[in-house]
Amino acid sequence: MSADAATVVAPVAGAPTDATAGAGRIREAFRRADADGRAAFIPYVVAGYPDAGGALEAALATIDAGADVLEVGLPYSDPLADGPTLQRANRAALRAGATLEASIRLVERIAAARPAIPIVPMGYANQLIGGGEGRERAERLVDAGASGVIVADLTPDEGAPFESVAADAGLAVVYLVAPTTPPARRATIAARSGGFLYCVSLVGVTGARRTLDPSIRRLVRDVRAVSPVPVAVGFGVSRPAHVRALAAAGADGVVVASALVDVLGSDGRDLRSLGRLVTSLAAATRR
Amino acid sequence: MTVVDRPPTGREGRPQASRAGVVGEIAARRRADLERELDGVTIADLRRQARRASAPRPFAEVLAAPGLHLVAEVKRASPSAGRIAPIDDPAVRARAYTAGGAAAISVLCEPHWFGARPGDLEAVRSAVSVPVLAKEFVVDRRQLPLLRARGADAVLLLAVLHPRRRLAALAAEALDLGLEPLVEAHDARELEAALATSARVVGINNRDLRTLEVDLDRAAELRGLVPEDRIAIAESGVRDETTIRRWRAIGYDAGLVGETLVRSADPTAVVRAMVAAGREPSDPANRGARPFVKICGVTDEAGALAAVRAGADAIGFNLVPGTPRELSVGEATALGRLVRSAARVDTRPRIVLVTVDRAIEELLPLAAGVGADALQLSGDEPVSTVVALAGAGLETWKVVHVRPDEQPQPVVDAVRGYLDAGASHVLLDATGGPFPGGTGRRLPGDLVAAVAREVPIVLAGGLDPASVGPAVRSAAIVGVDVASGVERPPIAGERRRKDPLRVGLFSKRAHAARVDRPVLVARPTLVHPGLLEADEAGRWGVDREFGGRYVPETLVAALGELESAWTGIRRDPAFWTELRELLETFAGRPTPLYRADGLAGDALAIAREWDPRPTPVAPDRLRVYLKREDLAHTGAHKVNNAVGQALLTRRLGKERVIAETGAGQHGVATATACALLGLPCVVYMGAEDIERQAPNVARMRNLGAEVVSVTSGTATLKDAVNEAMRDWVTNVATTHYVLGSAMGPHPYPTIVRDLQRRIGDEAAVQLAEVEGRLPDLVLACVGGGSNAIGLLSRFIGEPSVRLALAEAAGEGIETGRHAAALLGGTPGILHGARSLMLQDGDGQVVEAVSLSAGLDYPGVGPQIAALYAAGRVEVEAATDREAVGAVDWLTRAEGIIPALETGHAFAVLPRLLAGVDGARVPRPGAPAWPREMVVLVGLSGRGDKDLDSIERWRARGS
Repeated sequence: MSADAATVVAPVAGAPTDATAGAGRIREAFRRADADGRAAFIPYVVAGYPDAGGALEAALATIDAGADVLEVGLPYSDPLADGPTLQRANRAALRAGATLEASIRLVERIAAARPAIPIVPMGYANQLIGGGEGRERAERLVDAGASGVIVADLTPDEGAPFESVAADAGLAVVYLVAPTTPPARRATIAARSGGFLYCVSLVGVTGARRTLDPSIRRLVRDVRAVSPVPVAVGFGVSRPAHVRALAAAGADGVVVASALVDVLGSDGRDLRSLGRLVTSLAAATRR
Repeated sequence: MTVVDRPPTGREGRPQASRAGVVGEIAARRRADLERELDGVTIADLRRQARRASAPRPFAEVLAAPGLHLVAEVKRASPSAGRIAPIDDPAVRARAYTAGGAAAISVLCEPHWFGARPGDLEAVRSAVSVPVLAKEFVVDRRQLPLLRARGADAVLLLAVLHPRRRLAALAAEALDLGLEPLVEAHDARELEAALATSARVVGINNRDLRTLEVDLDRAAELRGLVPEDRIAIAESGVRDETTIRRWRAIGYDAGLVGETLVRSADPTAVVRAMVAAGREPSDPANRGARPFVKICGVTDEAGALAAVRAGADAIGFNLVPGTPRELSVGEATALGRLVRSAARVDTRPRIVLVTVDRAIEELLPLAAGVGADALQLSGDEPVSTVVALAGAGLETWKVVHVRPDEQPQPVVDAVRGYLDAGASHVLLDATGGPFPGGTGRRLPGDLVAAVAREVPIVLAGGLDPASVGPAVRSAAIVGVDVASGVERPPIAGERRRKDPLRVGLFSKRAHAARVDRPVLVARPTLVHPGLLEADEAGRWGVDREFGGRYVPETLVAALGELESAWTGIRRDPAFWTELRELLETFAGRPTPLYRADGLAGDALAIAREWDPRPTPVAPDRLRVYLKREDLAHTGAHKVNNAVGQALLTRRLGKERVIAETGAGQHGVATATACALLGLPCVVYMGAEDIERQAPNVARMRNLGAEVVSVTSGTATLKDAVNEAMRDWVTNVATTHYVLGSAMGPHPYPTIVRDLQRRIGDEAAVQLAEVEGRLPDLVLACVGGGSNAIGLLSRFIGEPSVRLALAEAAGEGIETGRHAAALLGGTPGILHGARSLMLQDGDGQVVEAVSLSAGLDYPGVGPQIAALYAAGRVEVEAATDREAVGAVDWLTRAEGIIPALETGHAFAVLPRLLAGVDGARVPRPGAPAWPREMVVLVGLSGRGDKDLDSIERWRARGS
């Protein structure tokens, strides 16, 4: 088997989750931002961090400072795609008693309070699929008001069964492409992604970086060229200048995560700094 | 020195004159020489001279013997190297070569570029007793009888110098003179021309004789184009025995070495080292995969002796009236006597009498009269005949005749019927030939493979030296049988006769077919394929429910690259040869198998106390064997995988290695392998483990590895894996992640299993040598599963072998504080694969608890999970307390301090013995366990590293 053959995604039976209601809400948010002359801004909060109440406040503050879509991290014991910041926040949340159900209830509360903003939880395969297909989880997320879901360690190679149950539930499964993804595979992943496609900006784990990788411009252009869904760029994005550069490069959306957790401070409660940073990041999305 | 009357063409001053380049120039000069020297001499005169020469020595036959042989060259200069050495007496030099074991001597006969002098050939020929190759530029057919007259046994013919038809004519003429032609090629076109001749010996020269450039990969690239019924010689570019070993691995019969030997101050020593490197390996793992070879229908002394020399495992004498290989009873008796006297007692071929549809009363005296070891029934004998003969104590072989269009199942049933009746072997042959007892036709490969997967069969019919290797590689047959495929062309009205060269080559090709190809299956495997190999998606299990590749997208390309590299390596004997050599010379393999009688006695005593029922195992009938991985370099089995993956890193072209470690054993092994191969190495280790395993941390640092303390999560093995994965995600372009257990995303479980299965492959052969059979029970401890799958792999497909694993119960499974992913886990996704794991209802990974750092892991490899789910392994668990007790027990009973990990296996051993009362059988209808019981236990590592933590554990009063 050639290297290419080993990484080409097998075709899957059944519709991709881009046809779901959840995906429709996400795409509508991207459309509104675009009509407004902006890239969509997608901030991230960790459910249960610093505790259940603090997380809800942070989420609402973030949305009010200017979010188009909200990503909600589901705290996990073994977040192997995450860098030190999110590892710390995950651990703190779990220590503060975060359970999966509590995290989903957070989604429920945010959705009730700010119904216009699509919510996309992000977690790991064992939380969402584990030993089964993930049907109960997908249904529960949709009940709580989630529009899509990102699974950090799930690729379309393994995702078909979950896509199928998510499609039944009305949930978009957002896949990721990385700089290491071969070109032929990018198109296949994009075709299977629901709502939007998450473009990882760097070769590495999550975490704020000082500079953007210079090759990101080209990656964004190439991925957009083959993607039927909007492309949002994340990993390492931490400053307004990064956001401006990505919006200028043609990204349909920009994800910021670790930088927002960092700005919350060591106790995770500095909502004022969080609001300021989100405002400046959201402003930078204007093309 | 004046012999070189024309300055050799050095690399710099290379002439680019004609298409034929340097070789063309030499040939032209040679033609001019010959015009002078042979002016007026006719070929008839020279042939007369050649006939008077001493009989030719067998060049091809010598090279057809097992292994790679050295053809050592005498020359004073060469166009590529210029003057090399002023050899005054070529005979002295040649004798130095043969003293080291050279199989033949090559003598340069060209004076201008190579410095040959008149009389060199004759001097060498009379000084040695091995064949001599005349390395001449043959441009005139008269050179052939001339060289034969001077004593040459073989002659070089260069494909580059001749149009096809002339090349073929020269080869035929040489053969006619008894002069073995070696036809040499450098590229595929020349090789095609060489193969179109009748030459039996073909050379692949890494050097392009036109430009003198050497391309070291050429021999490897072209070997596959040479059919296996030719003898293949590789030439040029040998600096040391590494090249020789590689050439042997990829199937060359000989290597021709010149300059390196000529320059050497001690050529005998250099030759000796190269000859040793060329020998066919005979380590237990390779012996275990070797098919046996039966040469059937031997009709004369030459054939019988050829079979003995070829190392045949059996010789068949045909007593079937009216067939072309029929022998009288007297002839068979005489040939049998010859075989007995000619062969070494320990390697003597079995003598098999081939009969068709004779009465039982006739057969018994017949076998006794001839002195045969076995009777082969090649007719339509019913099962009852086999029962009668086997019942009379006679080894019986049965031929099953199969139509090529037959379905596998009825064939399997027929074979099984004869085996159950007591047949020692069943041969599969095609029906429809003119004579009973062999048709000379091949059965379809698919049918053979399907049958061989279910029952042990010997493939007969239509095999020859060219086809036997591929046949052995493509089906799990246990042996091959040949008659017509190794014979001289039939002469009407005469009895068939064997061709000694073809007999030799057939046996060599069959025996070598699976050497250093550990992935090839060598015997029936009676389980679901999902328990033996992953599918294309890396899934294991009867429902393919375990395994897969759950990783961040960033890693998918690297895993794809790893997968295709491994797919290639799995079938590349050069890789496995290099690895085996390192494991043998560096890592201490094969590790010994030790019979632990003290342990056995104690275990039985414990088992009896637990179980008041009369135990079926008498003390002297329980034999427990320990596979001593603790004696491998670095003190555990981990070195097998680490050295293999370090070699893999080099193949992948990556320049940095990372690894995770729990107990530190895998970290130490990886650091060791990286020190050996000069690779920078970073080891991730949980902070808690660093504290528990300080001596191993010091060892890693001394070996030059960077040890990174992991404080995230529970600061143990699982978090070290997470951190290694994060490093890999970040540095994937330059870094190979040497995963230490048979877990993780596809293809890691396969890679680690392939590298560790040597443990069980060796043990099975070592055990068969002392017990003559398979073990009844195989037991290993299991954490991630590399030691367990390494020991168990060989036995998974053997239904008579009970497999058992010991997990770490920590403080007790009922306390929830344990590391038993099989007994106390649920299906989930951990570290890239779906398997059984410790988790809560939210899918959060639950901390594993075990005093043993090597088992302190919340998951288990997917193949192990699949074996457990399918009921193919029994699983027991031992608490910390029980494991510590077992460590003490083994230490005192046997003088071996085992690793705490291994202690878990010994702790559960008595429990498994207590179960032996006929109640636990692996499949319905299987016979109850025999009174005699042979147990194989994997002693995965040494325990020095644990003494401190055991002391602390005792001090805590746990």
